[in-house]
Amino acid sequence: MRSKIITWSILVVLVLGIVPLFVSDAFVLRILTEAIMWIGLAITFDVLAGYTGYLNFGHGAFFGIGAYTTAIMMVRANWPFTLALLAGARVTTICALAAGFPTLRLRGAYFAIATWALSLAIQQLALILTITGGPDGMRLPPFLNPLYFFYLMLGVVASTFFLLWFLLERAPFGLKLKAIREDELGAQSLGLNPTRLKIQAFVLSAVPTGILGGIYAYWITFIDPASTLSDLVSDQALVMVVFGGMGTLIGPVIGAVLIFSFKTIFWAYLSDFQLLYLIILGAVIALSVVFLPNGLWGTIRDRNSGRGGLKKKLTGPPPGIEAEKKDETNKSILTAELKSCTQKDGVK
Amino acid sequence: MELLPQALIDGILLGGIYITIAIGFSLVYGVMHIIDFAVGEWIMLGAFLGLYLNKWTGLDPFLLLPLVFVVFGLIGYLLQPVIHRVISGRQGNPLLMGLVFTFGLALMFRGIALTGFGFYSHSIPSTFSDKSFFYEQGTFFMTVSGIRLAGLIYALVITVALHWLLKKTNFGLGVRALAQNRDAAALMGVNGKRTSSYVYGIYVGISAMTGVLIGSILSVSAQMGPDYTIVAFFVVVLAGMGHLAGVPWAAFLLGLVQSFFLIYLDPGLTMLAVFAILFTILLVSPRGLFAKGV
Repeated sequence: MRSKIITWSILVVLVLGIVPLFVSDAFVLRILTEAIMWIGLAITFDVLAGYTGYLNFGHGAFFGIGAYTTAIMMVRANWPFTLALLAGARVTTICALAAGFPTLRLRGAYFAIATWALSLAIQQLALILTITGGPDGMRLPPFLNPLYFFYLMLGVVASTFFLLWFLLERAPFGLKLKAIREDELGAQSLGLNPTRLKIQAFVLSAVPTGILGGIYAYWITFIDPASTLSDLVSDQALVMVVFGGMGTLIGPVIGAVLIFSFKTIFWAYLSDFQLLYLIILGAVIALSVVFLPNGLWGTIRDRNSGRGGLKKKLTGPPPGIEAEKKDETNKSILTAELKSCTQKDGVK
Repeated sequence: MELLPQALIDGILLGGIYITIAIGFSLVYGVMHIIDFAVGEWIMLGAFLGLYLNKWTGLDPFLLLPLVFVVFGLIGYLLQPVIHRVISGRQGNPLLMGLVFTFGLALMFRGIALTGFGFYSHSIPSTFSDKSFFYEQGTFFMTVSGIRLAGLIYALVITVALHWLLKKTNFGLGVRALAQNRDAAALMGVNGKRTSSYVYGIYVGISAMTGVLIGSILSVSAQMGPDYTIVAFFVVVLAGMGHLAGVPWAAFLLGLVQSFFLIYLDPGLTMLAVFAILFTILLVSPRGLFAKGV
């Protein structure tokens, strides 16, 4: 199953890579570029939400920090794009470390609140500072090459995806994060340092987001607090992850593709009813939490492996007992794997 | 310095309102372990109900409070089973699921309100609106607006009533038992589901009533929700999550910070100051000012 997914992912990336050879329509390329960007935002959001169990409402803020740093470096300091993008990544790292240190020592609730407050504060800051252009936003030197941005976005998102794949699904890092999600105290008693791991995960999630923000700024050539720093960025990433399936890498991709397609069609045909979009977004989140707690991909996967299948439900023991058993076995497998990998690493 | 007493009194009056925003929120966290992201949206919806009731009946908003409480209390009571289902499902992380669910609700409510009521801001007229008390002695002077004073009195009444409910009644004993240990409380005969429903109903009702007051003191608009959600978050983190006794002090502190920024500094910086305080508290004393949070 795992290697199948990676083969498919490589195939999808290759197909996307040759799409521009056949499609020269700028509009289609633009839609594809934005869809790829949203996939990137969704998978990075899932590192914290799905794998670690911490909800980051400041995801949009990191996107905005990356965008603004890149823009400021290019416009005010006349740096070339690549250098400015690197500066954006660096600033995002620093911000993630600074915001993560006090909040990630605590339980999930504090983190969600603090990151939300952070995103509001950053918004406010961008509005009052002169270097960011205040509410008028900033204009970047235009570089009108849709192909360049398409490949840049694809490259960044694909490498993020494969990096996350390796770290979260192959390397012990993902298991450690999952252990923290399941039982933080238990993970600590096995010799893990939850705070450090959580901060690492936070940085891992924030840095690609900042880079995407920087690319976005140069691509769109105009950023302002209302578009780049609005809550809508985090909100949409959250919908994509929850709807697609938390705690997997494929789930957010599926969620991003579906929600983004819906959004594009919605804006194309129903732009008079903008507010309806907010209602639908909220309803999708609330309903999928109630009816699809594992998300679309999680539900499909469970059904395929027969875990949540109807047949088993009818013949097997009552669902409650089954669930408890499943939970037990999951936990014991996790503990065993974790033990072996901590011993291998020689973690103190 | 002439403005100092004015800043102090404004801060305290504003803080009074903040108590009622945060107290139900803190109670719900203590009992059900839910961070309700929709707190600001309950306030907004309550304010709109108050606005329309006031338009139709012409009654003073203070007289409408019980009705608003009953309507929203019922909504909260009926909604709680859904939330319970979300947080006790098979998915491992109840807190996360509760957060995501209420966040979805908040988005939905905001969208519905924006569609239904538009972007304009309104205000609910009250008999106290144009009354104010002016005090002057030499260079020392201050104005106390009648409606804000009435708001503070309302907040104190709510706080005292809630205190009485929690400390002096059997129901309150059950609520406190639930907050301490769910399983043990159930063994002692506390009906966890029903008590949680009542608590959630009370919280939604109080938030909606506070919304009506905010509507007549400040203003009502469909986008007002997040402003008050952040107030609830700030006060609760400062007080320590689930630590009710700290809520009033934290609320007064926030009121003072806001009024000082309004009078002496740039009001645009308020959000940044609030974040800086939140950040410092989390860094220095993560369990709140009194180190008594969960």
